[in-house]
This record gives sequence, C-alpha cells and structure tokens, in this order.
Amino acid sequence: MLKGLVLCGLLMATWLIVQAAVFHLVAPRKAFASMLALFAPTLPLYLVLYVMTPADLGFLPPAFVGADWRLGLVNGLILQGLLFLTAGLFYSHADRSITVRLLIELARAPQQRLTLAQMQAVCGVEVLMADRLEIMLANRFLIAQGERFVLTPKGWIGGSIGVAARKILRMKAL
Amino acid sequence: MKGLVLSAAALVLLVIGSAVALRFYRGNKEFRVFLGAFAAAVALYAGAFWLSAPDLGFLPAGWRETSAPVDFGNGLVLLVLMFHGYWCFSYFACLSPSMSVMVALRLWGRDGMTRAEALAIQGSDQPVNLIFQRRIPKLVQGGYVREEAGGYRILAPGERVAALGSFLKRLINAQVGA
Repeated sequence: MLKGLVLCGLLMATWLIVQAAVFHLVAPRKAFASMLALFAPTLPLYLVLYVMTPADLGFLPPAFVGADWRLGLVNGLILQGLLFLTAGLFYSHADRSITVRLLIELARAPQQRLTLAQMQAVCGVEVLMADRLEIMLANRFLIAQGERFVLTPKGWIGGSIGVAARKILRMKAL
Repeated sequence: MKGLVLSAAALVLLVIGSAVALRFYRGNKEFRVFLGAFAAAVALYAGAFWLSAPDLGFLPAGWRETSAPVDFGNGLVLLVLMFHGYWCFSYFACLSPSMSVMVALRLWGRDGMTRAEALAIQGSDQPVNLIFQRRIPKLVQGGYVREEAGGYRILAPGERVAALGSFLKRLINAQVGA
C-alpha cells in the first residue's frame, strides 16, 4: 500500500509545481479546466509507474510490502483523486472566498476602514454577482437568451444537485 | 484494507450524523456541527481500528496490510480528505451565490431569470444584502473587524487573514482584489 502512496505523492507534488508555473506563466482563463487538463495525464502515468517499478520501490522496508498489489494500486488512485479535489477546493477558497475578499478590501482601504456603502460598492452583491454570472456563462452552466439567463444541461444537473443537497442538509442562508 | 473499510464506514456515519444534526441545529455556526461530526467520526474510526480484528472478520488474507500504522494512517488521511470535500461541497451547495442562481433557475423552469432577479435572490433590494447579513456579524463576533461610527475597521486577526488571503491569491496568480 505504501508504494502507491509514495508514487501518488511524487506525482501530485510534480503536478503542483507544474500547475503553479502554468498559473504564473499562462494565467489560464478557465483555471479548473487547466488544472484538470494537467492532472489527467498523471493518472495513466501513475498506472505505468506502478506496474513498472518493484514492489518495494528499491528502498521500502519489507514490513511495508505485502498486501495485494491491486489494493495498493487502487488505494493510490483514490488518494490521487482526493488530493486533486482538495487542490481544486483550495484554489476555489483562495480565488472566490467572499469573506477573504472583504477583509483584503478593508486592509487596503485608507485607515483600514470602510463604511457599509463602501463595502457594498467594492464587494457587494452587484459586484459579486456580476463576477459569478460571468464565470457561470464562461463555464457553460448558463447561457444568455436576450436579457435572460437560462440553464444549460450542465447547469440543470448542477442545480438539481443543489436542490437535493439543500433538502438534505437544511443549512440556512442566515 | 481495514483502514479503508473503517474510514468509509466512518464517513457514511459522519454524513448521516451531520445531516440529522443540521435539521435540529438552530444557530448560524454550522461549522461547529461539521467539526463536531468530524471529531466523532475520527474517534469512532480510531476506536474501531484499535478494537477490531486485523481482518475485520471477513477480509481475505491477501488484503491485510502488513503494517498497522500505515493502514491506520492511510485510512485517517482518506477520512480527512473526504471530510474536507464533503464540508466544502455542503457549504457550496447550500450557501454559494452561484448555486443559489442555479437552484432558483432549476425550480423556476424554462423561463430563465434576468440579472435583476439574480441579484434579488441575494437580497440586493435590502439595505444590507444577504452576503453581508451573514458575514459581517460573524466577523465582528470573531474579533476580525470592529464596528465604529457607521463603518467597519479591520483588527489584527482580520489583517492576518487578509495577508494570508493576499499571499494565496498571489500563489495562484489571482487578482488580489477579486
């Protein structure tokens, strides 16, 4: 099992470095699509590395080699998928968090102070929704028909997931 | 494999337990419900790992990890990552302004909505819209900002979060003020 973890860790560390370089050198407009495109090749690469390397990777103690190799393979794949998901969520937190944006605006304001009207002007609902609608259009969750926004099939699936989650979890907007 | 099985079982209980607890929770600090459920799931996982047989009574011999610490650690890491994904998904699905638009459109049918209607979902017609009604009281209570003379001033903990946020945005090359 440890072999899969080591290989997965190495591949994810490499992917993170490459992805950070791409963000800085290319600044892709669709960040998640860029992350997915660069992450996808790591999956077959993991499989190839797993098959081609010895069970102990040449350095693991015998006590860490022993479980069924298929189990180690699948376990590493699951971990790789979860680490990618976590990286995507990290990106989303850093890029989209409303609270962090609000605090950054306060920290940059003269005397580090803003009135409610000023806060609403720099990161209120109008500014925020303009950003979010643009992102949803770019990612094809919505399409514009005249002055109205309509769900695409992808957006319909997203909305259905949201409806189900809100029925089950009952979290409140306030 | 024992760690994987117990980790999956703990996650299922965590999801069911937090969903049930949220139905009865009346406050607006849902993160406490999630963290409480996570702490209980970790305790349950650790306890079950400690007390159960290495093969859980049904695992084939070839599926038993030879190193118990690796098995335990692997299951724990997976539980932490899955919990993080579930927690983020829950907040996004239930509170995100983008998801609110998609949910409203899904329920409204094929007519779609205008920009003004999308804004109205977030309480744009109210003096303090929903985005601020939820966040500002929490920032004040948490000691991140202080209310003074019709405005808000950032405090030292808030400055630290803002500095960290700016650093993370630079790391992913995102616009700092966005």
